[in-house]
Amino acid sequence: MSQIKIFGYTDKISVKPGDDIGFHVSVDGTKKVAAQLVRLIHGDGHPDGPGFIEQEMPCPVNGEWDVQKQFTQVGSFLKVADPGNKLAHNGSFTLYAYIWPTLPDVGLRQALLGRWDCYNNQGYCLGINKQGLLEFWLGDGKEVDYVAAEVPLVAKMWYFVAVSYDASTGRATLYQESVANRYNSLLGKVSPLDYRSHVRETMRFKANNIPEVPFLMAGSQDWHELRGHFVSQAYCGKIDRPGMYGRALSREELDQLKSGKPPSPDGLLAHWDTTAGYTDNGIGDKVVDVSGNDLHAYGYNRPVRAQTGWNWNGRNDSFRLAPQEYGGVEFHADAMIDCNWKQTKKLRIPDDLRSGVYAIRLRADNSKQTTQELDEEYVVFFVRAKQPKSALALLIPTGSYLAYANEHLSFDAQIIQPMSGQPPIVSAVDIEMYQNPEFGLSTYDSYMDGAGVCFSSYHRPIVNMRPKFRISSMGSTWQFPADLSIVGWLEHMKYDYEVLTEEDIHLEGLSAMAPYKCIMTGTHPEYISERILDAHEDFVEQGGRLIYMGGNGYYWNVAYRDDEPWVMEVRKLDSGMRAWAARPGEHYLQTTGQKSGIWKNLGRAPQKLLGVGFIGEGFETGRPFRRMPDSYHRTVSWITEGIEGEILGDFGLAHGGAAGVELDRYDLSLGTPPHAKIIASSGGHTDNYCLSTEELLYAHPGVGGTQDYRIRADIVFFTAPNHGGVFSTGSIAFGQALPAYNFDNNISKLLANVVNAFIKPGPLPGGHWISNEKQWR
Amino acid sequence: MANLWKNPIANWGVKEEVDNAPTIPWTSPIKPWIETVKAKQKLYKVGRLRYYYKFPGHGARTWHRWRYPFTRRRILNIRGEYNAKSLRREKTILDRRPVYWVLSFLAMLMAPLFMPVSFESTLLNAGAVFFIYAAINLCWTLVIGTAGIFSLASMAIVGAGAYGAAYLSLTHGLPWWSLPMVGSVIGLVFGILIALPATRLEGFYYALLTLGLVELCRVYVIQSRTFGSATGGVYGADSYLPDGISELSELTISYYVCFVVMLVVLFMFRFIQGKRLGRILRMAPEKREAFAEATGVNYRWARIQVFIITSVVLGALGGVYASHFHGASPSLFSMDAVLLGLAMLVIGGIGRSEGAVFGTLVVVIIDKVFIEWGPLRLILIGLIMLLVVLFLKGGVFGIKQQFRAWRNKKKSENRSTRAEKGGEMLPEEATETHDKDQIFMRRFDKMQRDYLKTLVTEEIIEEHKRSPLGQHSEPLERLLTYFRRQPQSDKYAIVAIELYKSYRIIAMSGQRGVPPRVVEDKIYTSETEAYHAVFMRRVQDLLES
Repeated sequence: MSQIKIFGYTDKISVKPGDDIGFHVSVDGTKKVAAQLVRLIHGDGHPDGPGFIEQEMPCPVNGEWDVQKQFTQVGSFLKVADPGNKLAHNGSFTLYAYIWPTLPDVGLRQALLGRWDCYNNQGYCLGINKQGLLEFWLGDGKEVDYVAAEVPLVAKMWYFVAVSYDASTGRATLYQESVANRYNSLLGKVSPLDYRSHVRETMRFKANNIPEVPFLMAGSQDWHELRGHFVSQAYCGKIDRPGMYGRALSREELDQLKSGKPPSPDGLLAHWDTTAGYTDNGIGDKVVDVSGNDLHAYGYNRPVRAQTGWNWNGRNDSFRLAPQEYGGVEFHADAMIDCNWKQTKKLRIPDDLRSGVYAIRLRADNSKQTTQELDEEYVVFFVRAKQPKSALALLIPTGSYLAYANEHLSFDAQIIQPMSGQPPIVSAVDIEMYQNPEFGLSTYDSYMDGAGVCFSSYHRPIVNMRPKFRISSMGSTWQFPADLSIVGWLEHMKYDYEVLTEEDIHLEGLSAMAPYKCIMTGTHPEYISERILDAHEDFVEQGGRLIYMGGNGYYWNVAYRDDEPWVMEVRKLDSGMRAWAARPGEHYLQTTGQKSGIWKNLGRAPQKLLGVGFIGEGFETGRPFRRMPDSYHRTVSWITEGIEGEILGDFGLAHGGAAGVELDRYDLSLGTPPHAKIIASSGGHTDNYCLSTEELLYAHPGVGGTQDYRIRADIVFFTAPNHGGVFSTGSIAFGQALPAYNFDNNISKLLANVVNAFIKPGPLPGGHWISNEKQWR
Repeated sequence: MANLWKNPIANWGVKEEVDNAPTIPWTSPIKPWIETVKAKQKLYKVGRLRYYYKFPGHGARTWHRWRYPFTRRRILNIRGEYNAKSLRREKTILDRRPVYWVLSFLAMLMAPLFMPVSFESTLLNAGAVFFIYAAINLCWTLVIGTAGIFSLASMAIVGAGAYGAAYLSLTHGLPWWSLPMVGSVIGLVFGILIALPATRLEGFYYALLTLGLVELCRVYVIQSRTFGSATGGVYGADSYLPDGISELSELTISYYVCFVVMLVVLFMFRFIQGKRLGRILRMAPEKREAFAEATGVNYRWARIQVFIITSVVLGALGGVYASHFHGASPSLFSMDAVLLGLAMLVIGGIGRSEGAVFGTLVVVIIDKVFIEWGPLRLILIGLIMLLVVLFLKGGVFGIKQQFRAWRNKKKSENRSTRAEKGGEMLPEEATETHDKDQIFMRRFDKMQRDYLKTLVTEEIIEEHKRSPLGQHSEPLERLLTYFRRQPQSDKYAIVAIELYKSYRIIAMSGQRGVPPRVVEDKIYTSETEAYHAVFMRRVQDLLES
């Protein structure tokens, strides 16, 4: 019997009672699974905490589900909508494109453009062969004939490539010329490389073009008896302004095309102007055919747009300034944005379902209560209130869940062990994910050609958005399961709360936040779109109270499409603790046209909203907070009411301290409100905690926790207009300290003091103690 | 305890952190750099002179590529590339054999023009014999080399074809052009008969059987009246030579006729060896049949096919033989004919067409040209064969490959005696390294390891055992930083079998899609224990490197 594996995802991440939610499930080794709706209370199984807690809920879809193995298309490509089969051209033709291959020498065949059926060997295609040579091939359904260029393509160099095929003589002529300039390619003029190649050969037969084969860019059609049609021979690299003529172009005509002149309309079948349709507010997945035949191409798995093109000359740094220089469409053979599985089950959220964190628990064998294997899956989703009634809301940082979704750091990143200061502890599901490209990548990973991953979506199983998951590299929980410690605290303290996701705020803006008096964030809300940040600011300014429960939050500027909010885009650049760096000229989000990077570099350091901002991370130890003298001031002393001693949180599920993992610090120079007070600060961090890169101008020794005073977490409080207020914990480990001693501890007490005050309408306590000090001691 | 490390966090009163820990005297990390400068290793200049011509690339010019008619095979298999040393565009002919074949054919074609007059008839005669034997050996090498059937009956099939054709020509007056056809029919029958036991017997036993068959044929034709036991053969078969021409013209014509015969057989060889049948057979060489069968290759059927095809061709060659020599003689079945043929194959290298042809050339020249040497030349052939068997793995044409393997062996022997283990790259190795950064990385790594080895002491190990995470003394921190920064491939990690209960050590693959491998069976019951076990493994690897 094969190993049973269950994986699933939902079509929506945030639903209200009455909404429909679809579950997409794929299994190995079984045909039936037992489904059960559960309310998730606590995730972390750390022995110092309450352990895993869930509540089984009645629900119409509970019971046995019929499930099947589903397949996932990996690799990004463009598919041309050609209903009239105009590109099934049986006469002479010419295919051309500017290309910037990143892995020509990978040893796998890569299709650039053509109608190629690689299962039946029919059609035609221009691509890169296993030896890394540009190659044109055609097939008649039985045999393949081909002509290859003379010299291998050099990686990360811009070329203009073409093949002109004369059907009457059978002659196919390859055209390969460099279009590298001082900026656009890896190598400069001083490398004595001759990139040119022109090869002519006579083909023995003609291509057989059947209507079923689509015209693809960066892929070709394949077939498998279980899967049916899919796309293989994916390409890694950029393609810029490709096209096809219905006649064989001469060398001189191709020279003209290479120079960037608009293609002559004589015999033009399609010219995909990859720069057409750009707007100031972003670029979609449609690549426009400007030949007049309207053979537009559509992206699958989101080919990256807004990338520098063959003619980028370094002067402009955004597609908004010079769209014509940003025609590069970047493809990756291992890109995976949307599993596109068939829906297994649909659920209408019952009206009486209380807002909270839910999951459909799928088990192969329901009698087995605990398992470390892959035969148990929690498909997580969040239920909002239909009409918000509570004063308190927990804001689920779905953007950051996406950013870290299925991260491969422990396996792929050489830098992770020195960063986290410990060997990783991986689990079965980590290994399963690493083995299988169908899980896709996170924005902490790189594609196999080394380019950073800028898109992430939740239309795929996200193994680390599961209640029992522990992040392998850091020896603690992280993101979703860590946030469940806050949920567990809210439940234990019997607060009347509702949940809300960042997606809701992105789509609805302030109106999603406004009904609440107090909103608590997750432990690590790092990825924030402009709309979400604006809504936060407006919420606090209009009298809302914000409890920032994390560290390194409100850090990256990210973007979502309104109609496809399940995909997030981020570009990591310039500065900040970043897993990769966007290439020169590619710093703007294709989704919105905004510059990405960290909010600090965009003029909105997190200190302006939260009073604190990122300063350092270390992951391997936690430290307690110690009260700061300001906490004794009567404006804020209510926060520490009932707490004895100066030390706060010398415990916790994340390495035994409430201050740890990632730390935020008060900084007037970055916009901490001038009246903010530091309630407590941590200290004595190890040297594994290093200053974050955006704080460093020059690298120098002594920026570790034992030598740099700035490395600390600050608990900061300040009041805002209209009785608003912000309380920031400044540490990721803060949330994981709540469950210690069965939620009966001073961190829990501190937070309860704040929440109790924040959910009360009217002015905050301590507001009158604001006169000048005239003291005797 | 003179050496005590004082924890900088001691004042903060953190529970897990010790105030101080025993440590070791400080030594400079720069020390290995200074010491290695003293060590002098003899380094040799490397680099190889380009003394031969290589075609440059076409650049902007269009390269018209031509193919053999009716195939998609290019005339020459050429690879365009950038010279790694200069980035110059070059073209390399990957397979130069077609060039050598064409030159050889030209030489064979022109040879009669340059033969010394006194020697001409001997040479022409030897040439014709060479072509016929080359053709026979091409078939034979297909059977032995490609198909892996140890048949010694090839000459017997030729003999049967020759006898049959000669006999029929004599009795029924068949014309010369029908003799190869008659021979091929006889070959087919013979082939099928001999192929049957091949499905049952293997290797040595089959060779013995075919040898017996040859002997049977010889005894039969010697004793049979029909086949001229009295005259020592069947003579008077119709010849392809026209009547009434000079002896020299006759010899010249036979020379060219036999040349064409060999060309035809070469084509047959190419079509079997280079197409599907040949590939199937080469997938299933001797002793690997089981593997081929497991992968779905029907090698038995392929072997029988190739055996029957070659038998037909051998039979036809018998017909040519009969027409060429005006008949057939029992010497065709003689033991020395079989052994001479075997010598030809072995000298050239079994399984390759050039081997079969070259081996035949060598043996025929010795046997037919240096006739005045007498029986000595047979000893010479035997000696050559002995030397080839003793010293060469694949005959004369296997020399290149064998030489390269031997040179590689010597190379690594030499390098291992000169290089310190795990040390710097030698110039020879550096020229083969594409990323020159790696050369320095190796140097740096060696220095680091030399230094770090001196830090591994009881105190440090004890310190790690006490607290694998947290602030560490300077020597331990240095060790840990080095370990953690290692590349991903084979880097240790931990797998949780059951969280908080059992852990095991694994090593990362460093290659996406390839799962980590389990390093050892031992189960650790806590994270701390597993952390320390990983550390101890890393220390051990460091000390062993």
